[in-house]
Amino acid sequence: MADPKISIRKLYKIFGTDPQEALRHAKDGMHKAELLDQHRHVLGLRDINVDMQAGEITVIMGLSGSGKSTLIRHLNRLIEPTDGEVWVDGSDIMTYSEAKLREMRRKKMSMVFQKFALLPHRTVLENAATPMIVDGAPRADWEAEATKWLDRVGLEGQGPQFPHQLSGGMQQRVGIARALTSNSDIMLMDEAFSALDPLIRTDMQDLLIELQRELQKTVVFITHDLDEALKLADHLVILKDGEVVQQGEPQHILMHPNDPYIVDFISDINRARVLRARTVMQETEADPGNADGEVDENDTLESVIAKAEGNADLTYRVTREGRQTGVLPMRDVVTALVPTEASDDGGIRKAS
Amino acid sequence: MATYDWVFNTLGLRDWCDGSGGGGAPMSMSDLMNKAKGDAPEVSIWDTPFPSMDALNDSCEAFPQSREVTKGLEQGFLGIKDALSLVLDPITQPLSWALEYALWAFQGIPWWIMIPFLALVIRLISRSWGLTAFVAGSFAAMAFIDYYDYAMQTLAVIFVCAFICVLLGVPIGIAMSRSDRLQAGMIPVLDMLQTLPPFVYLIPLIFLFSVTEPKLYGIAIILYAIVPVIRLTNLGIRLVDKEVIEAADAFGMTKRQKLYGVQIPLALPNIMAGVNQTIMMSLAMVVIASLVSAPGLGVLVLRGIRNLELGVGLVSGLGIVLLAVILDRSTKAALARVNAAQKH
Repeated sequence: MADPKISIRKLYKIFGTDPQEALRHAKDGMHKAELLDQHRHVLGLRDINVDMQAGEITVIMGLSGSGKSTLIRHLNRLIEPTDGEVWVDGSDIMTYSEAKLREMRRKKMSMVFQKFALLPHRTVLENAATPMIVDGAPRADWEAEATKWLDRVGLEGQGPQFPHQLSGGMQQRVGIARALTSNSDIMLMDEAFSALDPLIRTDMQDLLIELQRELQKTVVFITHDLDEALKLADHLVILKDGEVVQQGEPQHILMHPNDPYIVDFISDINRARVLRARTVMQETEADPGNADGEVDENDTLESVIAKAEGNADLTYRVTREGRQTGVLPMRDVVTALVPTEASDDGGIRKAS
Repeated sequence: MATYDWVFNTLGLRDWCDGSGGGGAPMSMSDLMNKAKGDAPEVSIWDTPFPSMDALNDSCEAFPQSREVTKGLEQGFLGIKDALSLVLDPITQPLSWALEYALWAFQGIPWWIMIPFLALVIRLISRSWGLTAFVAGSFAAMAFIDYYDYAMQTLAVIFVCAFICVLLGVPIGIAMSRSDRLQAGMIPVLDMLQTLPPFVYLIPLIFLFSVTEPKLYGIAIILYAIVPVIRLTNLGIRLVDKEVIEAADAFGMTKRQKLYGVQIPLALPNIMAGVNQTIMMSLAMVVIASLVSAPGLGVLVLRGIRNLELGVGLVSGLGIVLLAVILDRSTKAALARVNAAQKH
């Protein structure tokens, strides 16, 4: 595997009056609840190690208070860590001076915020052009670039408006256009779609996937919504109480959750819509002979079931670009819909 | 002889009391009465005086009386007064010039230029014909009863003082918003400036500057009126949406870009509210400052009180109300326009 674009190493963040003292306890194995109880310090993050590959969407998921927003703010040092390193393009950004850090924020990273964080006194066009204006680009340049990206996110002709004249979904499109105008490789998205209503959220997710296919940025996406995480993630990191519980390919996590917390988490989702043929199939290139048809390896189980019209006795060949990669008996499809339990599961509720 | 004799006796200070004091302090009436009676009367437990400086002085003549405190303060102030005015005089001199120049300009320009000019200014900042007509009408009415000159003097003083308040207050407010320590230090000072009766700081000012100089009342007005603009600038900048500040940081803005591009524009409604309050408070102070030769409608109010000229007092008071309404409405109209420009 290539060198990761962003690499977080042994990151700790502790809030309180004497973080260094509390850090020692955290390193000795103390967790969030004990640290708060015995030392009155809030553990933000504990021993985080994550690699984020270039061109991938890394989704960091967790409930509120799990430290996900704290974590993303370490990537551009809006929050300083108590201990640990963050490497971007092979250099440790913790060693950066203020000027160099500013340079990195302008050129390498852009950010999209949950509540949009647009400047209310500037027009949509000026907002979208913020990164270039900050960098001192001439007006003609930033106008052209910002207009281009506003058009790309579907806001043709809205440039002269003010943010408050737009709906929430449109405001967040401005937020995305603003991030794109900076022309940075890395996009940090902090619960970018959480404040939008469900239909618009789906639109925005599709927009992001489409943009990503075209631009191949390194996206770090924060969310508390598992469906959103599974839809977007190439690499999924699940946080709980400031610690990484499990990380990996989302399909893998769904099939092999290693913690009761995650089992509980994934028990409510619609597995048929999220799991894909390649995850469930038996890998083989040999033709089973009795196949009743073909499905693509990235088809969801939902579409496979629809194709089989509910018949559990069929078997499909699974193909990638026409070549067979495995076989998929419908019996396996149905079995996969029952949530898997973690090995050390104790008394966690099962999905019906 | 007196209640607290035993204190000095047990401390062994009796010699010091009788030796050095020797009746240096003047005798109070009650002392004389006591002396006339010969013997000190027996004091019951109910009448035991608080061991104040005066009560202790009764027992020990060498102990200072309480009036030494105020006297000491006065002596101390007089002691540093010369050095203080040596420093303050040149610094504050521009204020005198500004006030003199403004007074000269406001009175020198003929009414048929001044009234339309003021109406035009109001029209530009408020964009309202109604308010413009009201302002022109008010000034015409004041001119009609020959109060025009006084009103212009008051306006000139307020114009200069409010301008200087904003000039000093906004940067102080910005500095406070950036440093919690400075804020903690400034808030008691601002509280004191706001609650200290304005007459009180007129007294040291009279010692420092001559009553004939305009800066005397200028400083008094500024000290009184600067508080709201400082407070609201500080508050306004601290209230700017944290996520917007984060966005500014995330896109690599420098401190200066953040201040001028984000913080001040977003704090502007609050700053403008502070300016409005500052103008109102300088108008209130301009009447009190007429005690120390501030010109304008305040002088007439003072004349009304001193000579019991009811009519003069009432009319000039109403004139001040009219000025207040004009200034308040026009700054509020400007504020409303700022607010409308940046709804969230």
